[in-house]
Amino acid sequence: MTAPAAPITRPRAVPSDSPPPLRRRRPPSLHSTLSRVLIALIVIVQVYPLAWLFITSLRTEHDFATGDPFALPKSLTWENYARAFETGNLWLNILNSFIVTMGANVLIVLLGMMAAYALQVLGFRFSKFVRSLFLIGIIVPVQIALVPLFIDYSTINLLDTYASMIIPLAGFALPMSIYLFSSFFEYIPRETYEAASLDGAGPYRIFGLITLPLSVNTVVTVVLVNSIFIWNDFIFANTFVLSEELKTIPLGLQNYIGAMGKTDWTATFAAVCVTITPLLLVFLVLNKAMIQGLESGATKG
Amino acid sequence: MLPNRSRLSVLVFLLPPLLLYGVAVLFPIVQSLFLSFFSWNGISDMEFVGLANYVRMLTADDIFWRSFFNALGYLAICLVLQLGGALLVASLLTSMRRGRELIKTLYLLPAVISTVAIAFLFVRIYSIDPVGLLNQLLHWIGLGALERPWLSDINTVLAAVSAPEGWRFTGLYMLIIYAALLSVPQELEEAARLDGASRWQLFTKIRFPHIMPVWITTTIMATTYGLRGFDIPYLMTNGGPGQSSELLTTYMYKTAFSSTDFGYASTIAVFIVVECLVAVGLILFMLKRKADA
Repeated sequence: MTAPAAPITRPRAVPSDSPPPLRRRRPPSLHSTLSRVLIALIVIVQVYPLAWLFITSLRTEHDFATGDPFALPKSLTWENYARAFETGNLWLNILNSFIVTMGANVLIVLLGMMAAYALQVLGFRFSKFVRSLFLIGIIVPVQIALVPLFIDYSTINLLDTYASMIIPLAGFALPMSIYLFSSFFEYIPRETYEAASLDGAGPYRIFGLITLPLSVNTVVTVVLVNSIFIWNDFIFANTFVLSEELKTIPLGLQNYIGAMGKTDWTATFAAVCVTITPLLLVFLVLNKAMIQGLESGATKG
Repeated sequence: MLPNRSRLSVLVFLLPPLLLYGVAVLFPIVQSLFLSFFSWNGISDMEFVGLANYVRMLTADDIFWRSFFNALGYLAICLVLQLGGALLVASLLTSMRRGRELIKTLYLLPAVISTVAIAFLFVRIYSIDPVGLLNQLLHWIGLGALERPWLSDINTVLAAVSAPEGWRFTGLYMLIIYAALLSVPQELEEAARLDGASRWQLFTKIRFPHIMPVWITTTIMATTYGLRGFDIPYLMTNGGPGQSSELLTTYMYKTAFSSTDFGYASTIAVFIVVECLVAVGLILFMLKRKADA
């Protein structure tokens, strides 16, 4: 990995009688060619629809209604984007999604870290039982909570608030985050804590001065992984939120379906492109951390 | 255990998370169970009906059974696409030397996009007027006879709403399986190769057994997610036409929030949980027996 880049003149630098490194020179076998073609095909199936989404958002309406869907647009137009912003409350939806994602993430990170600290570092007699309680939340589908929460929220007047989305989103995300934090806390050496204890630090100071600062990387991972699910949440928002002012992106997008199912498709596609961009950008910039988080979530189990 | 910890400090750290989790997850589960024994429309008084909801669900509700079998079909399609696709791409990727990171990123892209956007996208892909990607493709490769409105044809609609869900998360499972494949010891593979093992033998005798624990986790994840699938079918067809793409989740949602039959909806919700638990149990049982055999 750390080898310096090979100079362009490398073949000449190698003594002529030494055999060329076998692996590099072998022509690509049938197997590797085939597997490359196969990978390319599968990746096209995965990515082309997304590219098509973007291309379509730049088509004129006439072109969309009559043209070959695979063809490139005859002329590009940004009009769809203008219309998308006129039709819906895109900015408001983005702002709401942002508030919900932030709110839920703050709860998830703070509470997840606290629970993992109690379970992994402090330890107590019923920790096994509490751990298995949290495990339930990973297995149980969110649908079980919809009816009870709807009833509870309407009794205490919490329907149609940010909290009505944040609470269940954070609650159901908590188990996985506790799990990620716990498995990270395992790697903090016991001696660190013992030394701090000898110096007179109590559990609160140790949490604030040792555990918390060391966990920054795990926090990033937890936030990234959870943000994907929270930003895109449809079911809680759709159940608990009715007013336009609180609608998040997934709900806002539904506004583009007009009466009688007649939809302004090119404007809709433009709106979709606008709303997926923030998360897509974050993902493309930080995809290493995110990929690592997703991998470690499952492989360590 | 930390030397200076006190019982109070444990409570300080543990209670807030337990409180949120209890309010959002644990209490609703208990409440659902409770509600499933009642008949209630949210307005009139709750009426205790014992097991009547369960009896009705299992013996007298055709839509329930229709949704149940649809959900199994939905699950089967998702699993084939997600696990099959994931395993295929992950294995192919290990033999590539360049571009792995790029492919991982590209492959994961659909998982970042909201289900509403995906539902919109696929409605257009399946469309016949104006012609969508799928029908156009069929036309080009000479299978024009197969062109159809995929979402309004009762024979194809279930497959058509399952495919996007499968498509969406293939990359996620691929990542997990790929990470596991990388951990297969090189010496083991080299030794087998020297003994003349074919690629297929190498895969079935060495690689796959080695990633078995991760494969089990992945299968369980994909299964429980498949059984709770909701957004995409709900948004694309709302269970229709007729009940031909109704899943247990969409049926439960409609029972609760369109027919406001909270008791019966809770019964279906409890069934979905039981179904998930049974599925996880079955997977563990079958794989364990296979490992023992």
